Amino acid sequence: MSTFRYLLRDTFRLIFRHWGMSLLTLFSISAVFFLLGASSLLSLNTRHLLGNIEGQLTVQAYLKPGSDLEAAKKKVLTFGNIVQVVAITPDEALEHLKARLGNRAEVITLVGENPLPSALEIRVERAAHVSSLARRLVAMTEVEDVVYAGGLAEKLSRLSVFVGRLSVGILVIAVVAAVMVLFNTVRMAVYSRRDEIHVMLQVGATQTYVALPFVLQGMLLGMTGAAFAALTLLKGYSSAINVLAATMPFLLFLRDGVLLAKLGVVLVGAGICLGWIASWFAVVRYIRDAVKPL
Amino acid sequence: MDIRISGVTKVFEGDIVALDGVYFAAGAGEFVYLVGTTGSGKTTLLRVISREVLPTKGQVLVGGFDLRRMRYNDLAYYRRDLGIVFQDFRLLSHLTVLENVAFILEAMGVPPREVRDRSGFILERVGMWHRRFLKPPQLSGGEQQRVAIARAIVNAPSVLLADEPTGNLDPRTSDEIVQLLTSINASGTTVIMATHNQYLVDAYRHRVVELSRGRIIRDENQGRYAADVDL
Repeated sequence: MSTFRYLLRDTFRLIFRHWGMSLLTLFSISAVFFLLGASSLLSLNTRHLLGNIEGQLTVQAYLKPGSDLEAAKKKVLTFGNIVQVVAITPDEALEHLKARLGNRAEVITLVGENPLPSALEIRVERAAHVSSLARRLVAMTEVEDVVYAGGLAEKLSRLSVFVGRLSVGILVIAVVAAVMVLFNTVRMAVYSRRDEIHVMLQVGATQTYVALPFVLQGMLLGMTGAAFAALTLLKGYSSAINVLAATMPFLLFLRDGVLLAKLGVVLVGAGICLGWIASWFAVVRYIRDAVKPL
Repeated sequence: MDIRISGVTKVFEGDIVALDGVYFAAGAGEFVYLVGTTGSGKTTLLRVISREVLPTKGQVLVGGFDLRRMRYNDLAYYRRDLGIVFQDFRLLSHLTVLENVAFILEAMGVPPREVRDRSGFILERVGMWHRRFLKPPQLSGGEQQRVAIARAIVNAPSVLLADEPTGNLDPRTSDEIVQLLTSINASGTTVIMATHNQYLVDAYRHRVVELSRGRIIRDENQGRYAADVDL
């Protein structure tokens, strides 16, 4: 218990003895984590928007006259990534058409016999699956024609991949920047206390006891910086979303409070972890060298 | 704590031979002066005992620890039984006298109340209690060395290694420091002190070990600084 108190006291001493450096680190970490959080929000929103659009994407497969509609439906259901298959008989198709045409539905009666084919309306999990499904449908002997928004599906798929890669890129840059900032801060603290470290090691302090205040310093700075960034980001996001939703009501932005809270927790957790890793590397090697006999 | 050094040789980079086949033993409660010219190997011998230097050859046994085979994790526990005093004091200038002494005990996880009591007792013993709230730069050289000695003995070590502890001090202050080390030795602590101070060695008679070019050339109980004085 005493040791823990000494460690905490030393940690705060380290932070406040170089308060200018600590403040600078906090701002840098906050900026990095703000960027990280913003890129995550961009990615989450893009996925949310794409998910909404994808949810409405369907593939229409028109069957040859005389084909067994139920058998074709069962066959399609065995394909992967299918959310729903709706079998539409010619009569149902005619009813739909009439409903859509309204007053002009009289025209259809002029044709006499129902010319509409049986059809399958298929919904897939992701836009990326549309093209491959269409190819499989075309290959089916029962299928006469396949209609789908191929261009849109492929564009959505490409956009999703691009946003995913952009987010990963930003994530990597932000993580490296955060580690570098924390590493350098702790390294400077280590150098400023090198005499103390040497004396402590010479009189029998364990390496863990010497290292822990520096590690806690890194974790505390990482956590505070990330928490500040998370609060600013989530507050700014909710304000921005209100404005955007008012000006662009056709776009459905992410408003899931639980998910946003989770993002905040993940950012703070990442701040603690990165602080721990960066400071551990900064201090452990120095201490190992210091105790290594000549 | 017994110290046994057998056939120790230390060669530093560039083929610099600091110790050359040294055999040395000191029993618990002994006071040993290490004398010799600059570069004779006194400091290296002390650093071998504190395991800051590993011998190239030979064996070092201190209180049952074989220093060449000592495990990484045992070093801290071994050093807790050693006190080290340097010529340049090596006090931490941003801490007060009391904090300089106390932080050693804190590093061992001693409870705060015991830290206060033991630090206070030791500072009284070295005559520095009245200066406890000052920082090292506000003290004289002699006072700083007293604080350094207090720091070295606050953990009640079995062995006290002193490397030229009077090297930066005037004769009167040096006298006081050796009297202090002698009183510490009288309470059972083994003291090994490297020095150039002929007056002190002659005035406070203890065992004298003389080194030259990394070899022990004289080992005398109740010896004088120079071998030829009584000849």
